[in-house]
Amino acid sequence: MSAVVLKDIYKRFGAIQVVHGINLEVAAHEFVVLVGPSGCGKSTTLRMIAGLEEISEGTLTIDDRMMNRIAPKDRDCAMVFQNYALYPHLNVAENIAFGLRIRRVKKDVIASSIMEVAEILGLTEFLDRRPADLSGGQRQRVAMGRAIVRHPKVFLFDEPLSNLDAKLRAQMRAEIRRLHNRLGVTSIYVTHDQVEAMTLADRIVVMNDGRIEQIGTPMDLFMNPVSTFVAGFIGSPPMNQFKGTLANDAEGASVTIGGARISLPDTVPSDPGREVIIGIRPEYVSLASGEATSPVAIKLDLVEPLGSEALLHATIGEDPFIIKAETFGDVSHLSGLTEVHVPAAMVKVFDAENGHVLNREPTR
Amino acid sequence: MTDLPASSAGSTTGVGETATHAAAKPMRERLVWLIDHFKREWQIYVMLAPMIIWFLLFLYKPMYGLQIAFKDYSIFWGIVESPWVGWEHFETLFNNSQFIRAVKNTVIISALSLIFGFPVPIILALMFNEILHALYRRTCQTIVYLPHFISTVIIAGIVITAFSPSAGIVNTFIGWIGIEPVYFLTKPEWFRPIFIGSGIWQEAGFSSIIFLAAIAGVNPSLYESAVVDGASRWQMMWKITIPSIMPTIIIMLIIRIGNLMEVGFELIILLYQPATYQTADVINTFIYRQGLQSGQYDLAAAAGLFNAVVAFVLVMTANSISKRVSRTSLW
Ligand SMILES: Nc1ncnc2c1ncn2[C@@H]1O[C@H](COP(=O)(O)OP(=O)(O)OP(=O)(O)O)[C@@H](O)[C@H]1O
Ligand SMILES: [Mg+2]
Repeated sequence: MSAVVLKDIYKRFGAIQVVHGINLEVAAHEFVVLVGPSGCGKSTTLRMIAGLEEISEGTLTIDDRMMNRIAPKDRDCAMVFQNYALYPHLNVAENIAFGLRIRRVKKDVIASSIMEVAEILGLTEFLDRRPADLSGGQRQRVAMGRAIVRHPKVFLFDEPLSNLDAKLRAQMRAEIRRLHNRLGVTSIYVTHDQVEAMTLADRIVVMNDGRIEQIGTPMDLFMNPVSTFVAGFIGSPPMNQFKGTLANDAEGASVTIGGARISLPDTVPSDPGREVIIGIRPEYVSLASGEATSPVAIKLDLVEPLGSEALLHATIGEDPFIIKAETFGDVSHLSGLTEVHVPAAMVKVFDAENGHVLNREPTR
Repeated sequence: MTDLPASSAGSTTGVGETATHAAAKPMRERLVWLIDHFKREWQIYVMLAPMIIWFLLFLYKPMYGLQIAFKDYSIFWGIVESPWVGWEHFETLFNNSQFIRAVKNTVIISALSLIFGFPVPIILALMFNEILHALYRRTCQTIVYLPHFISTVIIAGIVITAFSPSAGIVNTFIGWIGIEPVYFLTKPEWFRPIFIGSGIWQEAGFSSIIFLAAIAGVNPSLYESAVVDGASRWQMMWKITIPSIMPTIIIMLIIRIGNLMEVGFELIILLYQPATYQTADVINTFIYRQGLQSGQYDLAAAAGLFNAVVAFVLVMTANSISKRVSRTSLW
């Protein structure tokens, strides 16, 4: 059963259309992450689900109930905002209780709910503090508390972690996922941070310019991006992309970049002379040659050690080429590197014109 | 909005710190610091100058003349030459039943216009905030702002005409329901309602601007979050808007209390007549009659000084109560 279904959703602000027909089915208990560059319509989509923006066209159903004309308060969604939207004049307990008070829930029920939520989120000792006297992470937790205390059908998150520093963000990310495993509430989460998307999501929805580019599990998006856009968006660093022309010879399909012949997987349709973009993930480039790998001459200009691995910034001809190599802490042997090896099976081929993938593998 | 006083307090401590920091140093260094400071910040002092000059000329210099409250002042002798008489004028004042009556009237009129007048602009601002149609909202706002720009003399004219016993609109209306015409402006019991009502009519709209600005400063996602939580517009007004603009309300209230002794006496002078002195005569009109009309400048100065001291005590009290009760204060 699908909890939230968006069917052909359009959004126009006056004459400007910002969401161009979105179709998405979110299963009950699923954690779906909407990800995409700034301005692509993620927040707008989320706000349409919450009822904060009107839906210009299309239908939204939650638990099989048509929601287009239903007031936000009757949609049974809880939303966590980027700036937390805590009430500055209320303390933590009152902030958490706000939604329940509004709904005239009994006092003793409210009190026990506050305690329960504070327990889950580790806020017990802060209950009588004002938001101004809390740290960013604690505020974020209060915002979460305000959402979960209502036991809604759907959680909506709009970049809830983007105001936190990197370390806290990683910590809260794990906490949100843990909370979801525990409560199992259907969640739709907006972010422009692909790491957040990869780590949190059951499924990721990649949006671009008001359209959905691809929907899939994090692994699916990583292994099988449908377009150069997704390939460039998912993964950090993103997939290396090179322009080239398909060629076919006795050894199979290949593309030549910067003088190096790169063998392609045999799933690529034979179409010599076709302009393509090939994508190579930094992680799948190997320093040693192996079976079915193509040697590529590179010019290394920077090594960024990251601990157990290192990012190698290199160029092939004029094009930048980033390689992620396992180093186990020792980068000394990398300085003289002039050649790397690209395994044919890991090369993605996209149409140069529309960016669509040519060798899509069946989803595993 | 709660941040406002906190941040201003923060900036004052900033300045204070540099000052004490400088004070801890020897004289020479302090002088160097001061010169550097002026070199760096002289533009700010230039901008400040007109205000300082205005204060000196129109507020501080006249204070010099306050001493005549303690002198037997004569314009022929001048301020310095007139002989000291101590508290004599104050004794005269407090034995003058007209002055006592003026003090009483001042307090009553002020208190009533505070009680009835203060909430009106807040209510207006909240109401404007609920109007969603932009053009309709702007029209309403303009209509209620307008009276503020009309001169007091004309306001008085409008009031006198409206309440006139023969052709006034008020008497015409009550004539329709069969009540005999009343000459309101000669009736002491009607003076205060008319005065306070016309004051509200003139100023409430314009005063609502500051509350509207405060409302505009409330973080919109607070409302969105409340909408998702299921709050009605009424609940949002009570639980978000009003608490959010509370610091502004309190600041305005302190200012109003500080001005409690300052009744808008131009309008009183234009509206009152000996028949209504009983309820209409306030300290300022008393000063005007004693000082300017009867030429008793020293007595009038004493009355004015008394008024100012009471006002000063009121502001201080209001401010410190507010600081203690609500963590919001003017200074
Ligand atoms: N009220 C509005 N009126 C007109 N255009 C709007 C309005 N709100 C959003 N837009 C436009 O809609 C587009 C999508 O905005 P949206 O806020 O959904 O982007 P987003 O994907 O959430 O971006 P970000 O990651 O920066 O938050 C943007 O181009 C924006 O300018
Ligand atoms: Mg957004």
